[in-house]
Amino acid sequence: MSTLKENRLWRIITSPSRMMLTVAGVVILVSVVRQFTGISDITSPGAAGATIRFTIPLLMAGLGGLWAERSGVINIGLEGMMILGTWFGAWFGYLYGPWVGIFAGAVGGALAGLLHAILTVRVGIDQAVSGLAINLLGAGTARFLSGVFFIGAGGDVNVSPQVKSISSFTVPGLSPFLTSLGQKHILVISDVAGVVAGFITSINWASLVMILALPLTSWILWKTRFGLRMRFCGENPSAAESLGVNVYRTRYIALAVSGALAGLGGAYISVVVTGNYLEGQTAGRGYIGLAAVIFGNWQPAGVLAGAALFGLTDALRVRQSTSVHALLLVVIVLAAVYSLTKLRKKDWKGFGINLGIAVFVLAYYMINKVVPDEFVTFFPNLTTILVLAFLSQKLRPPAMAGAPYRKGEES
Amino acid sequence: MQKKTLGRALAGAVAASLALSVVSLNGTAASAAPKKLVGIAFDLGGKEQPGFNQLAYIGFKAFLKTHPGWAEKDLQGNAADTDASRAQRLKLLIAAGANPVVVVGYSYENALKAVAKANPKVKFAIVDDNIAGAKNVEGLLFKAEQGSYLVGAAAALSSKSKSVGFIGGVNIPLIQAFEAGFKAGVAKIDPTIKYQSAYASNPPDFSGFNAPDKGHESALGMFQNGADVVYSAAGSTGQGAHKAAFEQKKWSIGVDADEALYASNAPYKTAILTSALKNVDVGVASFLSDVVANKFTPDAHLFDAANGGVGFTTTGGYLSADIVAKVKALQKQIASGAIVVPTDPKTVTLPQG
Repeated sequence: MSTLKENRLWRIITSPSRMMLTVAGVVILVSVVRQFTGISDITSPGAAGATIRFTIPLLMAGLGGLWAERSGVINIGLEGMMILGTWFGAWFGYLYGPWVGIFAGAVGGALAGLLHAILTVRVGIDQAVSGLAINLLGAGTARFLSGVFFIGAGGDVNVSPQVKSISSFTVPGLSPFLTSLGQKHILVISDVAGVVAGFITSINWASLVMILALPLTSWILWKTRFGLRMRFCGENPSAAESLGVNVYRTRYIALAVSGALAGLGGAYISVVVTGNYLEGQTAGRGYIGLAAVIFGNWQPAGVLAGAALFGLTDALRVRQSTSVHALLLVVIVLAAVYSLTKLRKKDWKGFGINLGIAVFVLAYYMINKVVPDEFVTFFPNLTTILVLAFLSQKLRPPAMAGAPYRKGEES
Repeated sequence: MQKKTLGRALAGAVAASLALSVVSLNGTAASAAPKKLVGIAFDLGGKEQPGFNQLAYIGFKAFLKTHPGWAEKDLQGNAADTDASRAQRLKLLIAAGANPVVVVGYSYENALKAVAKANPKVKFAIVDDNIAGAKNVEGLLFKAEQGSYLVGAAAALSSKSKSVGFIGGVNIPLIQAFEAGFKAGVAKIDPTIKYQSAYASNPPDFSGFNAPDKGHESALGMFQNGADVVYSAAGSTGQGAHKAAFEQKKWSIGVDADEALYASNAPYKTAILTSALKNVDVGVASFLSDVVANKFTPDAHLFDAANGGVGFTTTGGYLSADIVAKVKALQKQIASGAIVVPTDPKTVTLPQG
């Protein structure tokens, strides 16, 4: 821990006053860029709403990964659990209504989570192998069940019939006021109003329920006895066992919750976003959820940040490709400012590199009118790789996540 | 001793079942005239689900109806398909004795290249692709940009806000041709109309054909930025765009088949202005009748406005008679060659919306 506290970057990030200053700086910067380029979609309520809808499935998968890894089991099977969530969500949603569907999605995911627990905790199969098996099993089971249930009910081997939608709510009074304020193009005020309006305008009730999983996870992991024991199992299961913690049972529960969260993410996609099951609609979100766990340094808030990074990129990209081009200006200014702080510390190399980045991006911005879509799609992945490469010393995974553990044996 | 008896009993049972199976084979051969087998391999998406698989199947079934001497064997694709699994599917059809074989979708290109070479006596047709140099493959190519041109003109004529959008499934030349046609159709009516475009995914990620969530957000973004008609050439992703149009009380345009008739689009069908048609059934039927009439010729066969390969729909009557007449006039000009539709969207310029 002491190395973490001594680290400058860490101190900047964790100090509340500096963090608020940084956030304020970025908000002002984005606002100026919006004003300068005239591309108002960056801070529009629509973009904020889209970001929320893209982020939630990733957040649920990420929280699922967090639960599993904090208890000491790596869960590569998140994707398969999400697929089961989409299938159960759509089928039971079609039969008994959308809320039952969402609950069923969680149950479907939890069943796969329990299977993962039996395979890894009880049988002792390698955790990565079991996870991969669950991914294959999830896809195959969904295909098989679709063939049995959907044909004849108005679907096909890869599509379910339509599910009724869950209603949305808008905060009355405040939402229209902020939306109209957002359209006035006043520096900073309009931008903040626009984004906040997006957070309170036509928000699906299901979105709200899903988001609750984040504070709930935080609270359980750090404020309850069970959470303490669970983290203990991830750090040192032998010691936990010797102090009377039932490691097997704890991991069973953690993996069931992990699967249920991933299943909820899947059900959100099929029931809320699309309104039916479609084969392959999870499109690797389970794996991105895992990336968000690493990006977020195994902390709930960090997982949210990782999921939001992917969600924001997707939202801006599919809504208006010019938004991303405008955001290059933000990157230029940030790199330039960072190079100046390096200059103050007489760090010539750091100054050179950051100034180089700023100049290069500026040149690119002047020459091209759009950022290649291929690069934009890849951008969050690249960021995750960079985080892994440069901050790997500061990442703090649970010590025994992924290691096999047998009761009564030293690990 | 006991083991030996069991072994003998087993051997006897196997021999008996073999003999029986031979008898039963003879039996079927005697009772009905051997039917010739025609095979079809589908792409991702069900054969009964409206879309280009179903269109291929319609052409296929029409052929079976008029040719009673033929039986069918069909196999469906799935989301986890690889070149190897697709090749395996084609080999299964051939092993069952199917000849000719219809292959639906360019995703089979690599698989078909190898399988066609190894089976020179089997005649193939591949939808939306052509394998140059293969002596036993007919490529059924559709001038999709022409259909897109027609709905582009319809969109421009219907837009009140003078702003339209395009959503592509995956950013590949095949889909860029749709965008080019659409853009050119819009520009033909009014070159000052504002234009937005987005692709749901980039290769090698092909999830963009199957991502209604992205279609929904993309269309919402375009509507909120001023557009009032959005055209999606993106498979199931378009379903999301129809939903967005329905919610925002704007227009959406479908692709390939008449999307207003899809069961999955039923809640949003009042938001579907028209659909650009790609009549895959015409292509498949033409290939099968060519084979029967011994008129099979390898290489590319083009289906366009001139031979009924592309068109647009008027389901719901949301296009006024005046607009339909104008678009039909353009269709005639394309068929006669007076209008040449581009396939590269960069060659058409419209103001950014």
